[in-house]
Amino acid sequence: MIRFEHVTKRFGAKTVLDDACFHIQRGETFVIVGQSGAGKSVSLRHMIRLHIPDAGKVWVGDDCISEASGKVLSRCLDRFGVLFQSGALLQWLNVEDNVCLPLRQRTKLPDAEIRARAREKLEMVGLADAGAKFPDSISGGMRKRVGLARAIVTGPEIVLYDEPTSGLDPVISRQIDLLIDRLRRKLGVTSVVVTHDLYSALRIGTRVAMLDHGRFAVCAPPAEFVQSENPVVQRFLRAQGIANLGDVEKAFEHETENNPD
Amino acid sequence: MVGPMITREPEFLPPPANAFASMGRPVIQACRDTGRALVMLLGAIANLPHVFSKRNRGDVVQQLWQVGLKSLGVVSVVALFTGMILALQVGLELRRYGQENNIGMLVCISMLREMGPFMTGLVIAASVGSAIAAQMGTMTVSEEIAALDVMGIDPLRYLMMPRLAALAIMMPLLTVYTNLLGILGGALVGLTQLGISYEAYFDNAFRYAENKDLYVGLFKAFLFGLIIVDVACYQGFTATEGAVGVGRATRRTVIISFLLILIIGYFVTRLFYQ
Repeated sequence: MIRFEHVTKRFGAKTVLDDACFHIQRGETFVIVGQSGAGKSVSLRHMIRLHIPDAGKVWVGDDCISEASGKVLSRCLDRFGVLFQSGALLQWLNVEDNVCLPLRQRTKLPDAEIRARAREKLEMVGLADAGAKFPDSISGGMRKRVGLARAIVTGPEIVLYDEPTSGLDPVISRQIDLLIDRLRRKLGVTSVVVTHDLYSALRIGTRVAMLDHGRFAVCAPPAEFVQSENPVVQRFLRAQGIANLGDVEKAFEHETENNPD
Repeated sequence: MVGPMITREPEFLPPPANAFASMGRPVIQACRDTGRALVMLLGAIANLPHVFSKRNRGDVVQQLWQVGLKSLGVVSVVALFTGMILALQVGLELRRYGQENNIGMLVCISMLREMGPFMTGLVIAASVGSAIAAQMGTMTVSEEIAALDVMGIDPLRYLMMPRLAALAIMMPLLTVYTNLLGILGGALVGLTQLGISYEAYFDNAFRYAENKDLYVGLFKAFLFGLIIVDVACYQGFTATEGAVGVGRATRRTVIISFLLILIIGYFVTRLFYQ
């Protein structure tokens, strides 16, 4: 679905991605973890052409998005929904209008239909009653959920999440994790999540990749990831107090039981 | 259909090899910025046929309101006092030669040809241009512009075109208003400071002013509107480094707009008045 072929990216003298290669399969939740400044968000931005590699190629399906323009680029971007770190909501539009925006600007659907779809997505993210509120009057967690509703309102095949739980308390973080997992199960979307929160990564990821010094040090399913002997992974696991998957899975199962949707 | 994405990667240039190269770099950068800003302007102009489409109508009307009616207060004060200052300065000098009856003509022609569009341009660059730059800059650094790009919503059509249309329409209208108030301010000073009746003042004013003076002034105002929006949007869309970058974009917008209004105003005058 998404393929990085020997992607190298430099910002001045700093090499952020160094010959990075990976392949994301359809329907999986691929989580990229790593320290701050490791190049996680840069990887994500390459997938939607907000960055262009200095060397290598980024493929989305059969299209090379890193070299695309015009209709091909449009076709590639149509496949994505993106949740930006800050939510990136337009401040002068209320929550519902923010969610309606992509449909209003890019389709000829009647307004009633657009509003119905927006409300459906807002309900899905648990914000059915927040449509009339403005972004500056809602919490950070709500903003992210609105951003998520906007990202999925066009029915994308792939949803990218840039630090979906950063700056949120553990309860809200868990709700966001559940939401990402629910979207994968209900809508079958392919998800790519960038985070430094290993709890979150191990809860929702079908594969977890550790980015270190511009390269993917480990890329494995959660169970294998926690058993990796890679020193960077081990340091990361220790720093977040994770010895095995047991506690993470228990917490996740507990939440899933309480929120079966 | 996605146009060229507005969101740009940060540029990292190698350190200049020598003093000559370090002097040349700002020139190259200025040429690059000019070219990119012109391409953006053309992109926004190409979207003007959508100006009253269902998707853009609301934004255009809102911008007309923001640019036009919300600027009326400050434009009124500036226009009135510009006319009054012109009349006072010129009138006091002319009185030494017994020619104060001609202040009507001088104020009217000065306002129509130069001072009307010029003062309106400065006021709008400082108030509306800086506001546009700050808004676009804030949207850029908070990834809202990137979000629009990725959603396939062209920022040139969604954000720049409505502002361009609003300024292209409102700048000439505001200039007409500035001209009228400036001429009226001159008449007030003529009556109260120089003892010239309204009849004499307006008779003198409109006897010598030509339609061409009005049209050239309005053409300048139209150009100034395009310049202000283009500079403001370009500076906003290329803002980096958070709040500091937004401040820098706003400052640059005001400075560059002022300079371009002066320089282009001069060349338009030369073009029409040989």
